[in-house]
Amino acid sequence: MGEEIPVDVGLIYEGERIRKSSMYVDLAGPKSKGAELLRVVPPEEVEDGRVEVIGPDVDEMEEGGRYPLGIYIKVAGEKLEEDLEGVFERKLHYFCNYIQGFMHLNSRDIIWCRISKDAAKKGLKLYHIGKVLVNLYKTEFDVIEKIQVTFYTDEKAVDEHIARARKVYEKRDARAAALKDEDVEVFYSCLLCQSFAPTHVCAITPSRSGGCGAVTWFEGRAAVKVDPSGPIQEIPKGEVLDPLKGEFSGINEYVREKSNGSIERVYLHSIFDYPHTSCGCFEAIAFYIPEVDGIGIVHRDFHGVTPFGIPFSTMAGQVGGGVQSQGFLGISIAYLRSPKFLQADGGWHRIVWMPSQLKERVRDAIPQEMYDKIATETDAQDLETLREWLKSRQHPVVERLAEEEKPEEEAKKEEAQPVAALPELAIPAQGVPVAGAPTEITIIFKNAKIYAEKVIIRRKE
Amino acid sequence: MIIAVSGKGGTGKTVVASLLVRSLAERDTYDILAIDSDPDSNLPEALGVEVERTIGEIREELLEKRDSLPPGVSWRSRLEYEAMRALVETEGFDLLSMGRPEGPGCYCAANHVLREIIDTLAKNYDYVIIDTEAGLEHLSRRTTQNVDTMLVVTDTSKRGITTAARIRELAEELQVKFRDIYLVINRATEDTEQKLQEYAREIGLEVIGIVPEDENVRRYDYEGRPLIELPADTPAFSAVREIAEKIAR
Repeated sequence: MGEEIPVDVGLIYEGERIRKSSMYVDLAGPKSKGAELLRVVPPEEVEDGRVEVIGPDVDEMEEGGRYPLGIYIKVAGEKLEEDLEGVFERKLHYFCNYIQGFMHLNSRDIIWCRISKDAAKKGLKLYHIGKVLVNLYKTEFDVIEKIQVTFYTDEKAVDEHIARARKVYEKRDARAAALKDEDVEVFYSCLLCQSFAPTHVCAITPSRSGGCGAVTWFEGRAAVKVDPSGPIQEIPKGEVLDPLKGEFSGINEYVREKSNGSIERVYLHSIFDYPHTSCGCFEAIAFYIPEVDGIGIVHRDFHGVTPFGIPFSTMAGQVGGGVQSQGFLGISIAYLRSPKFLQADGGWHRIVWMPSQLKERVRDAIPQEMYDKIATETDAQDLETLREWLKSRQHPVVERLAEEEKPEEEAKKEEAQPVAALPELAIPAQGVPVAGAPTEITIIFKNAKIYAEKVIIRRKE
Repeated sequence: MIIAVSGKGGTGKTVVASLLVRSLAERDTYDILAIDSDPDSNLPEALGVEVERTIGEIREELLEKRDSLPPGVSWRSRLEYEAMRALVETEGFDLLSMGRPEGPGCYCAANHVLREIIDTLAKNYDYVIIDTEAGLEHLSRRTTQNVDTMLVVTDTSKRGITTAARIRELAEELQVKFRDIYLVINRATEDTEQKLQEYAREIGLEVIGIVPEDENVRRYDYEGRPLIELPADTPAFSAVREIAEKIAR
């Protein structure tokens, strides 16, 4: 490296926290401000290996003081693309954490750093940290040919840096939000919920986050890097079997294996035929309403009843547990914002009911022409009022409804009966994270007519 | 080293936990983390510090706004940042408050991540002292993982001792791993001491220390003063200091 670094640098310092009592200075953090930014720029804009500190460096700072901090890294290289900026920038956190006596938390404009008394005594300065970063980036990424690091600790310079950084984050987020299943080759799986839903394998793609909402594709990518053998794993995408329904050979194979063969196929973006299994933690449920041939959505925070006459909690009990339930799907709220949201079933044009609070929350995701055509609990409380309301608003499902209604109204009603009775199924599989499958199952039918050629009930091997 | 202090509510578990923190902090050579994982306890008050945010609150906040977090931003590292922010830092020790248990939503992923974050944080300390509820829920969910020494605090009632026995069974059932488990008898008077020693033998728990009935503790409790400020020579504190020496060896 040429220059002496006064402290050790290595993996063993990862996770090092510097306590207030052993801290020399506090940089950025909740009581100050800061931001970090990495940009790919043309080679002539980078002076390779240069480290600059605008404002006081550690040796000019007061012990026990608090200062704002900006970190700006410029990289150049023939093969570098703007898309790599985010990946490189996230690496900054890990690299900083290799440095003994330097704490670095989080990313972007919510960072928090500390330098320990010991490190300051040994003479550690931001300048040295910059030198370490130059070295680590170039060692880890061959494609980075030139790199320059600038620190800002002068308040005005930090403010300018934050403003510049925020503009870049915005642009980057817009690009990331547009990322679709077809743009990537690797998906992720999450098996965290198998403790109580043993056959549930969550498939996480750019267009579908986990049902709990906590694991997005980006989060999956990060988690695999942190703990490659953890509950989140890579799923090779494989062949695209049906782009509309969202069926991929890679997901099918993976799910078959990890569900011990109980789930054979999965459609990511449909509620019918082979819907994704539901864990028990989903934030919302999409449910098919045969009486209007539309789909309703209810979320966990809504305590009223759906047009089926049952609340979220009852429905959740029937949907969860790692089974594929025709016409029911546990989803995250973020999935409502996905451009592929139930696309095989008509997406937002098929949605007929949702709680007003949820409708407001995802307002920006609902196509404008549909917003006033989706009923809420104030518009419709049961199937009959829902039907009338949808007709009055000329919801797209109404047209189809009218056609089907004429010839075989009677038969339709007969058929609808078993589905309407479904809400009486009470499987106590939800909520309680006990190991293994539920041991008791209660099935209650009221006023039900069930037609079947054959029914087989078997003990699970 | 991770020390968990548990016991039936009202047995003086928090007295023992807070004085243990003080005993270890007094030596000045250790970094100490106190974790309040009993929503019904008042460890922060006993330690004389104020908690602005609990881990539970952070979890709720982040679950609430996670669908509006920018896609390229890691939820995990944000949690790490917020957990550090929730840490109350004092001269002698740091305190993390777990807060209320979870509501009806799903916390699998959030708890999984939080567990890792707290484990990482805990590695930075020489001693971690956890004030935990009798149900050991936090331990079993392993928001904090393995425990080196489990102290079960009981008062002089037979019920207290029975609860102590139950806690041990529970710990084994829930597969909370601990190296040692000891009984601490609180508010003992001379005439009860012997009988209690016998009870303890019956249930097979070794008594590591006996904290005597202490007028000062009662008075501080009554006046709402932090127990950590008890006079250095008050009998209860001397007793806990001895326990600390035995554990810390």
